[in-house]
Order: sequence, then C-alpha cells, then structure tokens
Amino acid sequence: MTTYEQSVAPEVETDLRRRSIRLGDILFKGIAIAASLVATILLVWIAWKVLDLAWPAIQDFGLSFIWTEAWDPVTRDFGALIFIYGTVVTSLIALVIAAPLSIAIALFLTEIAPRRLAAPIATMVELLAAIPSVVLGLWGILVFGPWVRDHLEPWIQATPLGVLPIFSGEPSSSGIFTAALVLTIMIIPITSAICRELFIRVPQELKDGALALGSTRWEAIRGVVFTYAAPGIVAAVLLGLGRAFGEAIAVNQTIGNRNAIPTSWFEPGDSLGSKIASEYVGATSVEQASSILYLAAILMVISLATNVIAQFIVVRFERARRAV
Amino acid sequence: MRRLIVAAVALVALVALAAFAGRTDSASAKPSEPQQAGGSLVGTGATFPFPLISKWIPAVENALGIKITYTATGSGAGIAQITARTVDFGASDAPLTPDQLNACRGCVVIPWALAGMSVMYNLPGLSKRVVLSGPVLANIYLGNITTWNASAIRALNPGVSLPNTRISVVYRSDGSGSTYAFTDYLSAVSPQWKSRVGKGTSVNFPAGQGARGSSGVAGVVKSTEGALTYADAAYAIQNKISFALVKNRAGGNALPGIRGVTKALCDVPDKVTNLAQIKIVDPPAKCGKQAYPISTFTYVVVPTSSGDKAATLRRFIYWAVTAGQAPGLTKGTFFVKLPTNVNAFIYREIKRIQAGS
Amino acid sequence: MSQLTQADPYDITVKSNGLRRRRIVEKVFGLAAVGSALLACGILVVVLGTLVFKGFSALSVDFFTKPRPLFGEEGGIADALVGSALIVGMAMLMAIPLSVLVAIYISEYARPKVARSLKVVLDVLNGVPAIVVGIFVFGILVVGNGQSAVYGAFALAILMLPMVARSTQEILEVVPRSLRDASFALGVTKWRTTWNIVLPAAIGGILTGVVIAVARVAGETAPLLFTTSIAASVVSADVSQALPTLPVTIFIFSESPDPGEQAAAWAAALVLIAFVLAMNVLAKLFAGRKRRQLEGS
Repeated sequence: MTTYEQSVAPEVETDLRRRSIRLGDILFKGIAIAASLVATILLVWIAWKVLDLAWPAIQDFGLSFIWTEAWDPVTRDFGALIFIYGTVVTSLIALVIAAPLSIAIALFLTEIAPRRLAAPIATMVELLAAIPSVVLGLWGILVFGPWVRDHLEPWIQATPLGVLPIFSGEPSSSGIFTAALVLTIMIIPITSAICRELFIRVPQELKDGALALGSTRWEAIRGVVFTYAAPGIVAAVLLGLGRAFGEAIAVNQTIGNRNAIPTSWFEPGDSLGSKIASEYVGATSVEQASSILYLAAILMVISLATNVIAQFIVVRFERARRAV
Repeated sequence: MRRLIVAAVALVALVALAAFAGRTDSASAKPSEPQQAGGSLVGTGATFPFPLISKWIPAVENALGIKITYTATGSGAGIAQITARTVDFGASDAPLTPDQLNACRGCVVIPWALAGMSVMYNLPGLSKRVVLSGPVLANIYLGNITTWNASAIRALNPGVSLPNTRISVVYRSDGSGSTYAFTDYLSAVSPQWKSRVGKGTSVNFPAGQGARGSSGVAGVVKSTEGALTYADAAYAIQNKISFALVKNRAGGNALPGIRGVTKALCDVPDKVTNLAQIKIVDPPAKCGKQAYPISTFTYVVVPTSSGDKAATLRRFIYWAVTAGQAPGLTKGTFFVKLPTNVNAFIYREIKRIQAGS
Repeated sequence: MSQLTQADPYDITVKSNGLRRRRIVEKVFGLAAVGSALLACGILVVVLGTLVFKGFSALSVDFFTKPRPLFGEEGGIADALVGSALIVGMAMLMAIPLSVLVAIYISEYARPKVARSLKVVLDVLNGVPAIVVGIFVFGILVVGNGQSAVYGAFALAILMLPMVARSTQEILEVVPRSLRDASFALGVTKWRTTWNIVLPAAIGGILTGVVIAVARVAGETAPLLFTTSIAASVVSADVSQALPTLPVTIFIFSESPDPGEQAAAWAAALVLIAFVLAMNVLAKLFAGRKRRQLEGS
C-alpha cells in the first residue's frame, strides 16, 4: 500500500472528487476538440466557398474556360489559359533554378560548413524567407527588374541560348522571366530549410559506411543522402512549387500584367494570382467578376493539389521509414 | 512568463494610446457635437480625378465640416464598390452601362469634374513636344506601329529626329475610366480599333503591358525609355513627364490644358438632359484647332437611397460642382470648370439622392 | 610505381585517373554548394542593403507621425503603422488561443490516426494561398457589410492558425513524457497537467512559433487588399472601418512615379523589415530560453 492509496479519501469524498475531475477534463477536452473541428471546418469552408463563388462562371463557361486563351471584357470572352500559362511557367522556371540551389545550400549547411559557420548562414537563409513578398516586389520593380533588363537578359541573348524563341525579343524589366527570378528567391529558403532537416536526419553510420568503402564525399552524399531523403526532397520541392503557384503580390508587381501568352519569356504576361489581385476589386460586369472568381478557384485547386500530393509523399515516406 | 505578459499588455496599451493621441491630432478643430452638420463620407474609385479630390478634401472640411475619405482604386472598383454598397459614393470616369445601372439598383451618375487625358511618353533628348494623331495612336496601341521613327509618326513631326527606340505601350491593368475615355477616342478615330478591341473600362489590349492606377502607368513610363501611356494631365505635370500634342479633327495640334479642354466642349447642347450628350472625345472640326480630342468628364455615382448619408452627400456634391470648381482651388490640377450647360442636369440628379428605403 | 595510368589496380599508393576525376567532381560540387550558399546570402545582403540605402533618407520624425499624403503632398506612414499594429494585434488574439487548443488536442488527447489527419489538415490549410484566403473572407464577410479592420484581422488569423498550431504541437510533443507521468502520479488531473505543467514547460517554443507567425503575417498584403484597402488616410483606431496598413501602403507606393513616394515605399519597407527582423531575433531568444529550460529540467 503506497502513501498515495492510503491518502485517498473515503467513498463519498472520492465520488465527488472524481466527478469534478471528470468535469474539468471533459470540458477541457471538449474545448480542444471544438477548436480542432473549427480548424477542419475552416479548410472545408474555404474550399467550398471559393467554388461556390466561382459557380456562376463555371456554369456559364464550363470546363473549356481552362484552356480558352482569351480575356476580353468588352465581348465578355474569358478564359484561364493565359494565366495558367503564366502561373505554371513562372513557377516551373523558379523551381528549376531554386531546387538545385536549395539542395546545394542544404548540403553546404549539413555536410560542408563547419559548425560555427553553419548557424549564421542558416539564419541568413531563413531571413530570406522573412522578407515580405511586397518588399521583394518593390525591390523587383525598382532595382532588380531594371538590372535584369539592362544586364541579365542581354547577356542571355548573347549566349547560344539567345537563339531560342523564349529568349527572343527586347529585354524588359517586367515579364515572365523577372517574375520567375523573384519567385526563385522566395522558394529557396523554404525548400532548403526542409532539405536541411532531411539531411540532418540521415544516419551518420550510412554515410560513414560509404566513405569507408572508398567513395568520395560527393559520392557518399549522392548515394546515401539523396537516396535516403529522395521522397522528402520531392516533397520539399513540391511545397516550394505550391508556394510559387500561390504568390500573387510580388508577381503582380513584376510580371507586366498583359492579357496574352507571350512568345518570349522576356515579355510581359500575367498569372492567376496576379490577375486576381489586379482586377477583382474593379470588375465591371458580373461575367468578369465571376470569371475572376473562377480563376481563384483554379488557383486554389492547383495549389491544394500540389500541397496534398506533397503531404501524401511525406506520409508514405514516414510509413516506409517506420517499417524499416 | 508573467513579466512577458505584462510587457505585452504594456505594448498594446502604448499602441492604443498612440492611436488615440494621433486621432485627436489629425482631426481638425471641429466641435465634437456638430450643431451645424459635419458628417463623414467614404468613397472610392477613379484615379483620374484624384488630384482634384485631394484639393477638395481639406477645402470641404473647412467649408462644410464634412470629412471625406477617398481611396483611388480605379473606376471599375468605384462602380463595383458602390454597387455593393461598401462605400458612400463611387467615382468613375466612365458612365455606367445599362447592366451596371441595373446592378446598382437606382444610382445617379453626376458629372462633377472635367479634364484632359494626356498622352505621356518618355523620349529623352527631344527638343520639341511630339505630335501624335488619333489614327497613329490607334495603330500604336494595336501593335501596328512599333518604333518611334515609324513613317507615320515622322510625318506628323517634320524636322524632329525621332530615335529608333521601340515604343513600349503601357495601359491600365485595373478597371479604369481613363481606359474608357481613351478607348472611346480610339474607337471614334479608328474603325480597326473599334471592331477589334472596342471601348470599356477593361479591354483586351493587343499590345504592351499593364500597370495599376494612373500612378502606376506614369511610373512605368518614367522609368522606361520609349514608353507611352494615357493618364490625367495632372500626373504628367506632377511627375515632370512629357506629354504629346494630339492632332484634332480641325487639323490643329492640341494640348490637354484648360483651353484645350474648354474648346472641346463646343458641341455640348445648351441644356444637357442626359449623359449621352456630354461625350466630348474627338470633338468636331468646328470646335477649332485648339480643341483637345481626348477630354473627358468624370462622374460621382451615388445611390438614390442613401439612408442617413443622403443629406451630407447632397451638400458635398453641390459644393464640389460649385465652390469646388473655383479656379483658385483647382489651380495646378488642370481640371476645367464645369460648363453651365450641365448645371440643370446636375442639380436635378442631386435632388434624386434621398434617404429612401 | 610512379606511373599514373595503367597502374596496378591493387596498388593503393598510386592515384588512378578515375580517382582524380572523382576528386575533381567532388571539388566542383563542393564549390557549387559553397557558391549557392554565398549566392543566397548575397541576395539577402543586396535586398537589405538596397532598403537601407534608399529608404534611410526618407526616415524622419515627420515620416513616423504624419499620415499618408494626398496627391502631390508629403506625408508618412503613421496611419499605416497604427492600422497594422491594431490588425496584427487582433489577428493574434483571434488565432493564438484557437491554435494552442488545436495543438493541445493533437499532442495530448487525439488518437494517432486522428492526430495525423489533423496535422495534414493544418498543413494543407497552411498551403492555401493568401490571396484565396482574402477572397474567402471577402465573400463571407465584406460583401454586404463593407470593409473593416476586423475582417482584415480575421483573414490574417486564418493564415496564422496553421503556423502557430503546428509549431506549438511540435513543441508540446518534445516536452518529456516524464513530466506528465510525474504529474499524473501525484493525482493531478489531465487538464491541469496540460495547463499548469506542460504548457509552461513549452512556453519558450510556443512563443517562438507565435513570433515567427506574427512576422510572416505582418507582411501579408493579398488578404488585406480585399478586406481593408479602402481606408481614410488618417491615424485612426476605429477598427469597425477599414484601416490603412503598412504592406498595402508599400504596395501602392511601389508603383508610383513620384520619387518622393518611391522613397517613402523604401522607408516603409525598411520599417517593416526591421519589425520582421526584430521578431526573428525575439524568436531566437525564446528558443534559447526553451532549450535552457528543457535541458535544465
């Protein structure tokens, strides 16, 4: 018999105490459950409401809206293709540039940098994420855009890449390319932070084993770290892509806001988020307003899908890891 | 942890204090219980009249004690927000279409200012102002003319050595009454524009890039050599951006100044009874060589059932179309005093603003 | 055996061509990694440097005490500062209690399957673009009622919820089980254990997460465009109306041709970044405190 059991009060008092304990616990658990329900309902509600707002346009234009290349408020001819192109192309360009850079940065921080250097550099990369998108856009309009127009784009045109039609035409400070580069700056911190977490978790003995077998550091990384973290890297890249899809403000400031699919990436274009930000408050007809909401619904579906796929990969990854 | 909470509460209290202190500072010395009515109005809409409205805001507060809040978001937003009744008045350079009037459920559209739409450009090193014409502007905006030294432009500017720079066409990306006025003009002077693009607050511009607000398009032009755009003259003058002479039907090259816009009014009937009669883009040749072809009225849109804001709205708009037009007040904005032809129409429409149900 | 090619493959004292090539590859990738890190740091320095260089000259007492200017006048960001402070403050009040409760449920009460699903819900919510959240709040609140600072705060709270909930939940899970077990062994109820023992132990990490979320959300523009963008240019604490905010003000100024407004945009951006950086430093301080606490206990 322990002291605890001995100090338990007689029958009546015990019942009272148990009832008040149960009440407190039940209330608290109830509030916590309610909060969780609110969070879940919120997600569902957002998805439902945006689709509901877009429904008049979905009924009017049907699914062909998605591949219609038009945006004419005068003739009421609307389509999403121009903006889907802008969103997808700027995000993919950003991804192609940012993914290797992020992985390289994460590798640098986990494998190459001495401990004392890694912490401040990691902080600096995190701070890149902390820059608000409107500030990056401001910098993009006034500083980066002109630099791209005056130096980067002419330089690209001077290289063999310049013969490609996507790099043709006059350099411009606002356009698909400038917006894509700004998106790159936004994605890098997210993707590299996740990759860094992944690389840290790779068991040291696997790396040591590879080195013991005579591989160079790079081969050990390639063979062990990448293979081990591959699904996680894919998820990190997808999360970065989702972020790029959803970015509206910085893109709006740098993409040039033009209602056409540009032949050259140096030319202005427009993206889903950017178009919504430009026009929603000022839509002049019901068809235009609901078309913009249709664009919002498409954007929501694209970024949710990317996110859900990334989550799915993470969940499978965790399950496989636990099974090992 | 407790210390943290105390610090946080103190911080919030400090901010609140600053806010209240700030509010008393910014509120002018007017009585807290106004026996002569004060009141406040919130409005949004066109960027075109923003220079003039900026002059009105302090002046009407001094004269009538009415506090006006105005955010320039574009005519499209002005129409949309007043339709949704999220503001007390909307401002638009474009008259409402029948659909929009229906959606607005009984709104009056009152012209309350008048100015010229300047065609701004960035060509450093030119000694004279560039001369452009309606058909040339239409071709530029259609993408048919792409460089400044094209033959059509050189024909209008004899003796001026125009550079080979590409014309960067800039237009309004937001719903804009300036776009309406400009495309109205282009539709009048170019059948190709009329059939291919048309007019509206938002159109499918075939060439160029967009920017938001009169401020935004001015910004792009100022920073891009060879750029061209359309915006209220005050923006060009305020930001020291060159604007073009535009050839009118009489063959003269006109400026968007007070004289140019006043001359453009010559064809407005003596007693205006509806808005269609005050279209003044592309005025006929009889208006003379100084008539500026891209002039436009700008309107305030107010619901006929405005609840308890009705009286304040009537007072404000009446002030705006009378005292607000005084040359001493409008100096520097290049807005032209409203012609007397429209007075009867305006007063009739103001009377329609009632508390309603 | 000093010949480099066709050497005895079993002689490990001789460098073979293959090894040299592999070493070169390793050096190249090493340089690439270093270069990437330098590039990222370089971009940060360039952006921050530009902000300081261009914005510093516009900072003045006037800048902090005057509201947004009308056409052609000088002004400042006093109205935007107050508006942003109020809106972010309200968003914190709306989001933090709810987020902490969700985190408590996930880490203390929920069954593993439910916990995993909730985490996925939060992560997906985190991925909803800010502009879609803005449209959502516009659709359910602003339509028919007009804009207001409260609606803006609500939109920001929706953005904060998944961030704070997830970071709080992760911190709670790190609190040692022994703490809870000891508390239960002493007869303390579960809710009291969570409230009085676990939460205080995790407070450092929770505050870190909160502060990081506040820093993120203070710079969000898109949700505010739809909920609180048509606002008077006066310093006001009337949250039932729309209030000016720092990000929206920067957004508007950023497209202006007026060099005065551009300088104001840079200065306002500098103020915003200073706030964000201060929050990040604060977060690191809290994280350090948490680490010391958990290591000490």
